[in-house]
Amino acid sequence: MLDRIRASVRRAGGRSAAAATLLAAALLPGFQGAAVAAYPEKPVTLVVPYKAGGSTETMARVYAKALQEQLGQPVIVSTRPGGGGAVGATVVAKAAPDGYTMLFAAASALVWPPMTQKVEYGPDSFRWVASITEYQQALITTPDKPYKTYPELIAYAKAHPGMNFADQNALSRSFIKYIGKKEGVTWTAIPTKGGGEMVPFLLGGKVDIAWSGGVHQKFGDKMHVLASFNPKRLGQSPDAPSLKEIYGIAMPSYAVIVVPKDTPDDVVATLEKALKEASKDKAFDDMVTNKLKFPNQFIGSEELKPLVADMVTGLKTVLEETRN
Amino acid sequence: MILDQLLAGFGAALDPINMLFMAAGVALGIVVGILPGLGSVTALSILIPVTFYMSPLVAIAFLVGVNKGGTSGGAVPAILLDAPGTPEAAATALDGHPLCKAGMPVKAMKAALYSSVFGDTLSDILLILVAAPFAAFALQFGPAEFTAIVLFSFTLIAGLSGRSLAKGIIAAGLGVFLSTIGLDPVESTPRMTFDVVELYDGISLNALAIGVLALSSVIQQLFEMHRGGASARQSISPDYDPAKNRLTAREFWSNWRTLLRSAAIGSGIGMLPGLGVSLAAFLGYGSAKRASKTPEKFGTGHLEGIMATEAANSAVVGANLVPTIALGIPGNIAAALMIGAFMVHGVVPGPFMMESHGELIYSIFASMLIADGIHLVIGRLGIRIWGHITRVPRTVILPVVVVLCVVGVYVPTQSMFDVGVMLVFGGLGYLMRRTGFSIVCLVIGFLLGPMFETSLRQTMLMYKSDLSVLVSSPIALVFVLLTLYSLWRFARRR
Repeated sequence: MLDRIRASVRRAGGRSAAAATLLAAALLPGFQGAAVAAYPEKPVTLVVPYKAGGSTETMARVYAKALQEQLGQPVIVSTRPGGGGAVGATVVAKAAPDGYTMLFAAASALVWPPMTQKVEYGPDSFRWVASITEYQQALITTPDKPYKTYPELIAYAKAHPGMNFADQNALSRSFIKYIGKKEGVTWTAIPTKGGGEMVPFLLGGKVDIAWSGGVHQKFGDKMHVLASFNPKRLGQSPDAPSLKEIYGIAMPSYAVIVVPKDTPDDVVATLEKALKEASKDKAFDDMVTNKLKFPNQFIGSEELKPLVADMVTGLKTVLEETRN
Repeated sequence: MILDQLLAGFGAALDPINMLFMAAGVALGIVVGILPGLGSVTALSILIPVTFYMSPLVAIAFLVGVNKGGTSGGAVPAILLDAPGTPEAAATALDGHPLCKAGMPVKAMKAALYSSVFGDTLSDILLILVAAPFAAFALQFGPAEFTAIVLFSFTLIAGLSGRSLAKGIIAAGLGVFLSTIGLDPVESTPRMTFDVVELYDGISLNALAIGVLALSSVIQQLFEMHRGGASARQSISPDYDPAKNRLTAREFWSNWRTLLRSAAIGSGIGMLPGLGVSLAAFLGYGSAKRASKTPEKFGTGHLEGIMATEAANSAVVGANLVPTIALGIPGNIAAALMIGAFMVHGVVPGPFMMESHGELIYSIFASMLIADGIHLVIGRLGIRIWGHITRVPRTVILPVVVVLCVVGVYVPTQSMFDVGVMLVFGGLGYLMRRTGFSIVCLVIGFLLGPMFETSLRQTMLMYKSDLSVLVSSPIALVFVLLTLYSLWRFARRR
């Protein structure tokens, strides 16, 4: 009895499954094409892994508006702060790879935490779609100091051990320690909670030099750039050397947009095109170029690949050198 | 000079559209602030994208209105429901809710509103007069000075611990302990994070505060209702009597010393980046109690307690724009959001803001003063409406508050983890209420712990472990002496 029921169920199930397969076979090519053309067919979320009010979030708001026009769907900026970007990066790494969740963050947030902390993602957890600008990371001081250039600073620091520098996170601390090690200089790292704390410390003379993620550009001649942490010299301070010229290492400087690694190629291609067009938007260009004084430079996914590989090897070198 | 520019600013600010948006901002701010669990920071982050379509002046004036309304609106749930959504209104609940229970909720709300507007206005005037010169003074404050200020703030625990000092200290100690969870501020070593990435930045203050302050209070009231049976239909303020709810000018101004002191404390804290609204509120309350001839009345429904807190927390609102405008660095989270808004509207906050956008800045100053007047009117009208809430049965209001607590935690970071944290602290808060441990002390410990650790460790590093800077820096010395003085006074009183 039971067997008979089972058999009939199987038969019925088999029959309907076969019908469904047939139907799908007939419709699938057209169906699939429609799905591709339809992306995006619902609002897209742009995750910013930092607190509201910072330069990344501000940039994201303006950029999202431009991107919305390109995609024809609302782009929602969602802030998921925590762990120096690690919380937001985890969220996006685990999101559905359908192109509806992207992350807008500093490249370092995707490369550095996996090397130093237990997080559930790595640089390979993402498809790196594009970089739209570069943070202007610099070693800065105030103009009243006896050293005006990077070589003068190193000479001064050798003669005056125990100088104080302000860092803003583990990554910037490691870099300054790395320089100290290379040059045989001893200096003390003073941790600060971002630019809001670093600026008064530096202007108030509590620290001698500081790492800046770009905030110094608001202060004109009240702050003085000694060196660039970026792979190249900074546009606003072309005379200051980059650390890459001297030590062959640079800090990741790109503001990147990534999606989960299994996102289909066609979706990534649509997205990349929209991102590129959006970066030409007037309001976005004005914000980046004139307000933040960051370069408005678009780097696509192919060009980004070797840069990511560079970042990973660069950071590994720094980590190994400063660990022991 | 300042007067000329300010008058020109008034010319621009008195534009009807600007006034209309300021009024809308204040009203929205108050409404969001009133929802337990939501405060001015949430209100600002939700409303900043709305301003993209406004002119710079209207946008900033609108947000200034939101910030003002949001800070004062927080007093309403503290008074009516004993459910402050943010730590800045926690001390308001200490005296506000007893007054509400005694049938005087409207009087308490009036006192809170008037003190808020008073503190806020004074702080705005201070901002306009000293924004530029104070910048130089603010730079004198380094880690050593902050360490001394935080050290002094710890003496607040003595005044706020309720009946048992020992329990207050234990609660504060627990707060400090909880605040050490997360990445170490110097070496970035994880502490008690159990590899949970959400804990790397520590327990969220927002989630902890809403849990222990608001949710636990709701839980307690629900249990009381369950036990009481008949009281289920009881309204929030059963003995409400309009005659008892008048607040005379004399009654209000008899506390002018407290108002001035709190406004000064709030402005001072607001001008120093990184200390925050909540600390100002607790310091305002604590020092009013300390200066009072009848400190035992605090915590039993004493009008002065509400006024001391509200004048202090609202005085931060204007003053926290001093470092924003003069140095380009945010005084607190609300100011950080304002910096973002300024940038979106083409103004880069920093030392050159006054030079390049002087006209706009003075129009904003003028708008702030006008907004204070609008705030008074709208706030006063609002109290009529909130007065009706007092007649709604508890069974209707309390479930709504639970939902709002969840929303308030979820919205800023969109994290269900934080909602879980809030629920856990709701339970802990209930246990503390039942056993007589001061919740306010827990929150103070949690607030001060990281500030103290970071400042002290920065000081140790900066001065190569030589702590004599705490007495050789004149500013630090003042606060160290104040700490010793209040300890000595406290010991003598016992």
